Amino acid sequence: MRRSVLDQRWTGYVAAALSVGALTVLLKTVSSHVNAATVSLALLLNVLFIATRWGSLPALAASILAMLCFNFFFLPPFGTFEIAATDNWIALLAFLITAVTAGQLSASAKRRAEEAESGRREIERLYAELRDAFERASHAEALRQSEKLKSALLDAVTHDLRTPLTSIKASITTLLDEVRGRVDSEPRVALDADLKVEMMEVIDEESDRLSRFINGLIELARIEAGELQLRRRLGAVDEIISAALSRAEPITRNHRVELEIEKELPGVRVDERAVSEVVYTLVDNAAKYSPKGSTIRIIARRSGNELMEMGVEDEGPGIAFDLRERVFDKFFRATRDGDVRSREPTGTGMGLAIAKGIVEAHDGKIWIESGRNGKGTRVLFTLPIGDDEVIDESRYTAATVEIQ
Amino acid sequence: MTDQARILVVDDEPQLTRVLRTGLKSRGYDVRAAADGLAGFEAFNDWHPDLVITDLAMPNVDGLELCRRLRAISQVPIIVLSAKGEEKTKVEALDLGADDYVTKPFGIDELLARVRASLRRASAPATNEATETTLDSGDFHVDLETREITVHDKSIHLTPKEFDLLVYFIKHSGKVLTHRTLLAALWGGNYVEQNEYLRVFVGNLRKKIEPDASSPRYILTEPWIGYRFDPGEH
Repeated sequence: MRRSVLDQRWTGYVAAALSVGALTVLLKTVSSHVNAATVSLALLLNVLFIATRWGSLPALAASILAMLCFNFFFLPPFGTFEIAATDNWIALLAFLITAVTAGQLSASAKRRAEEAESGRREIERLYAELRDAFERASHAEALRQSEKLKSALLDAVTHDLRTPLTSIKASITTLLDEVRGRVDSEPRVALDADLKVEMMEVIDEESDRLSRFINGLIELARIEAGELQLRRRLGAVDEIISAALSRAEPITRNHRVELEIEKELPGVRVDERAVSEVVYTLVDNAAKYSPKGSTIRIIARRSGNELMEMGVEDEGPGIAFDLRERVFDKFFRATRDGDVRSREPTGTGMGLAIAKGIVEAHDGKIWIESGRNGKGTRVLFTLPIGDDEVIDESRYTAATVEIQ
Repeated sequence: MTDQARILVVDDEPQLTRVLRTGLKSRGYDVRAAADGLAGFEAFNDWHPDLVITDLAMPNVDGLELCRRLRAISQVPIIVLSAKGEEKTKVEALDLGADDYVTKPFGIDELLARVRASLRRASAPATNEATETTLDSGDFHVDLETREITVHDKSIHLTPKEFDLLVYFIKHSGKVLTHRTLLAALWGGNYVEQNEYLRVFVGNLRKKIEPDASSPRYILTEPWIGYRFDPGEH
């Protein structure tokens, strides 16, 4: 390293000596065609070149060397350092001053340019460092946010697992006490048959609730991992809806269910079971969050040439504007915010998230509006209309076989 | 129990209130349920239960707020149902005056034991603090005037602060006492964060009263929360 710096410094002097020498030889060979002024200008140019390339000291050396050559070779008497005419002395002196000054000026200009350049590089480096630091920080922030989200989700999941577990544990220990007949300073345990049945019903229902919750978790995980396997084939909208409604029959007994299905609807190229699940979820929500005796409407209609619009509408309290996106977040429940007071067990907080996953896997959209007259809730989603082909009987059969 | 003790259960989870109602009724308690803090508070005012069991996380008025409101008007024993992960809220509830807690999921026996202990404490004859000069509780006999204490008829020598701490424990036998509550009661409000203070005093007290200080039977540790005093059966 040190050697190369040394080399670089000497290169300037060597270049100064060589260039002045070469220029002198060149000028000397054509000396019959050039006068002293041309020679001095040429040598001056050379000094400037050395100055801009190697800086002030080599330029100074070049100036002195050029002055000597100018004197020796081009000012009469030639071949000596003597000078005959006075005006040539002045010319030589003027040359020296010009060469040194010009050399130093251009060397300092070069230095300033270099300093400016290194300053610019420093700024660039700092900028890059700052940007990297900023990126690292925002990455850490994003990570922290996602950790926070994860722990919030974990809280929600543990709450939903623990709640039914608590009821089950309390029921089963009540029954066990009775069977074992333990009487620690208490009045004798007296569970009549009805109470026993009630305890067992709680265990049964809460086990189902746990199981539903776990199934939901699995389905959600599948959707999030992009592993939702759709068996898409041409299906009929009314069949999808009737399948969902017959499954929802036990939960819609206390409501009026109305169908608003457009006539002569085209088929949709969807996974019928998945879409039926979406409709079921929406009907289930409508039944859960709207008063008994109110009406639930199932909607299916064309929306343009390529889309089918389906949805479910209820006459419940509706969902506030600012919650209409959030209800599709997993584990979010509008009822937790006290919108609805319900003695019924609430949902898993996964239904709409799963519905959204299914609809989006079909390249559709799902959203919430107010119901008719601005009351209640209407959840709508779109599905792509199937090709204009007639449902092919043989393919239909093949697909059915495949599902079985 | 000549009269049926009245228990108010406050929980937003209908299945759990269903189970608790049945479980408690089968043990001869009179039970009512409320679905949130607000309904719970109303039921309390109307029915005057002997004990309140409340969940912490509820819509509208939550368990903490219910504890606060109840303590403003009553000394009714309160048992808090809490979950793992709700430790902070649980300690807050105890600080606000809840008497005990049960962690979900729990067996009915555990809850019943806490219910019995809380009711027993509440129905213990009220001592007139001004005129009462002796305290008798389990293995402990305290003379408040001469500041003498015997455990199992054996006299113990305590420093003034240790004496105060033990008397406080005896007066609140069976109740979960948070670090904060104990510090505020014995050292005043400026010391409520000085848990190590308390640890030193409890350690010294245990050496003097416990048969085996390394596995205490009178001053029981409630991890992360505080202590519970069990005076033993005399």
